[in-house]
Amino acid sequence: MIASLARGKRFLALAILVAAGAILSPRDRDGGIVFLSVGNQADVLRQVSSNGILAVGMTLVVLTGGIDLAVGTTMALGSTVAARLLMERGPTAASTAGAVALGLWTALLAILGARRFLRPSAAPLPALGLGAVVALAFHARAGHGYGVLGVLLAAPLLGALCGLASGLLVARGSLQPFIATLAMMVSVLGAGRLIAGTDRMVHPIYFGPGQAPEAFSLLRERIFGLVPVPGLVFLAVAALAALLLTQTSLGRHVVAVGGNEEAARLSGVPVTRTKLIVYSVSGLLAGLTGVLYAAQYTQGKPDPGTGWELDAIAAVVIGGTSLRGGTGSIGGTLIGVLLFGYLANILLLQNVDSSRQFVVKGLLIVGAVLLQEGRLSLRRAAQ
Amino acid sequence: MKPALLSTLGFLLPLALLPACGRSSKRKPVVAFSQCTTTEPWRVLFNRELKREAAKHADLFDLVVADADDRTDRQVEQVENFIRQKVDVLLVSPKESPGLTPVVERAIDAGIPVLVLDRNVATDRITAFIGGDNREIGRAAGKFAVERLGGPGKAKGNVVEIWGGMASTPAQERHLGFRDFVAKEPGIGVLLDNQDGDWKKEKGYAIMETALKAFPTIDLVYAHNDPMAYGAYLAAKDAGREKEIAFVGIDAIPEEGGVWVKKGWLTATFVYATPGAEAIRQAARILSGESVPRTTPLATRAVTRQTVDAFLAEAGVKSD
Repeated sequence: MIASLARGKRFLALAILVAAGAILSPRDRDGGIVFLSVGNQADVLRQVSSNGILAVGMTLVVLTGGIDLAVGTTMALGSTVAARLLMERGPTAASTAGAVALGLWTALLAILGARRFLRPSAAPLPALGLGAVVALAFHARAGHGYGVLGVLLAAPLLGALCGLASGLLVARGSLQPFIATLAMMVSVLGAGRLIAGTDRMVHPIYFGPGQAPEAFSLLRERIFGLVPVPGLVFLAVAALAALLLTQTSLGRHVVAVGGNEEAARLSGVPVTRTKLIVYSVSGLLAGLTGVLYAAQYTQGKPDPGTGWELDAIAAVVIGGTSLRGGTGSIGGTLIGVLLFGYLANILLLQNVDSSRQFVVKGLLIVGAVLLQEGRLSLRRAAQ
Repeated sequence: MKPALLSTLGFLLPLALLPACGRSSKRKPVVAFSQCTTTEPWRVLFNRELKREAAKHADLFDLVVADADDRTDRQVEQVENFIRQKVDVLLVSPKESPGLTPVVERAIDAGIPVLVLDRNVATDRITAFIGGDNREIGRAAGKFAVERLGGPGKAKGNVVEIWGGMASTPAQERHLGFRDFVAKEPGIGVLLDNQDGDWKKEKGYAIMETALKAFPTIDLVYAHNDPMAYGAYLAAKDAGREKEIAFVGIDAIPEEGGVWVKKGWLTATFVYATPGAEAIRQAARILSGESVPRTTPLATRAVTRQTVDAFLAEAGVKSD
């Protein structure tokens, strides 16, 4: 009851923001309201997509009572790997990293699969062999250059590997999530720079024979000249995550771990496994965001993601997911992401200067949290 | 529900910071400018010159300036917004070429004339490019150095060159232009090779500190920007040798290089002109239906002890 009331407030906030946007909006050359135009709405969907995808992964992590500060730099790492895989022929640091990620995940999933579906005591050796074969096959492909599929496998899986490492530090190493992922954030930035190479930090993407395949630009395409593909990816990711959270046992485990870890453990919830999965998924989505970045801005580089993790956390918090874990929803995060996106859009359309924009965004976060905690209602104040 | 409504209104209070301006339906033409960052002095000067020129055309069009905080994604958002607003002329000074090229092409597809300033994008469909020519500026500095050291064919002396970011194109071009003149003089020796000062004053100081220890005679310091030249001057001053050395910088931002020349700390600096004023003039011509040149290289000029007073007066900067 209380939760639905809070969600109602957030919907109302979004509705009022949209109304304010329409009223304040400048007119275009023909007198149309720019804010409400279908094109502008499509722009907003594209503009929020990166933050949105990161925020979905972040929601899962925060629900377990954790936090993932590494998503920004992991995103940038993904963009760097994507750009180098697409543009270069022959083995590079990026193809090696991609091969390692692909091989490790193949081996890991093969072991888990064999133990679950064949016999619980299945030996790990064949799975490791399979992983090695996959890694070598991927690496051997370097001479021909990689297509969209290769990039869509390598970058997200590399991100997932970073996430898995964070998860291990948190779940097995018992490090505070803040510290573990802070360390990961810095390491991944360094790894991104190493993979970029010291001589060229920016890797531009050009299309054509011997360069990136034209198909890669589909990831930045607008369907019918309007609907942005990254926006659709965001919505699909959000829908999948919402299903996972509400319809599967994994989803129940995520909430249980965040609600009361000890109680969850005693009632048989696989706490460690659940944490490993959420951090891996967060990393996977960050890597995917990196691929979309590479497509959108036709370049990959290791440094643009700095600070993005904070935007994602802000959206999650505005969406009503508690930083203490246990309560929250993907739907809330969706609203949080849209609130942020619309606010930025309105401020931009109003030509508010960027310093003032930061102040307004800060106030939005404070306001949203006060609202969520129920401290911003008159009845309470009157008492 | 009532408290919820009120609290939501409270939560939206930040919006009160917005200037409430629903514009009338028949509006003046709009010239929109997306600047990649405004945290460095040259960009600040750039915006100032642009706005000052725009004030002269206030009856012709409205100017809208957006600052992308040095972020490619934000600059792309801004340009997308300008496309939606159907602005009449778009000015862009890109953070980087590959990231901005696609969205600039979209603006062109939407029929908006685009003027690209300072750094170019990778398409030849833009209306015009306006920017400084670093090679030319390097040549001007090289010519000045040769004159200062005795004139063509007779020049003699030891030169220290302090580089900007080693891999950056502006530094490369400022170096090559300088070499165009200095390399022809057998009497000029270049001490220290490829010293990277990364455009920073403190690094200029550190490089000069080392050079002063290593070489008993230094006649001229050429730094790829004024702050590094000033840093080198400070190092020489601390070593008590500033009187015997000429310090040559580049950029001539009035508050920096201009003032330093006026105070006698730098011997000369060369203007790396901002495209601000020229961009507005060209935007005005486009709006009046005239054509503009495809590329406009901005000329440099020397700021020396002889010309600095006029230079500062023109920029409206007091030296003391």
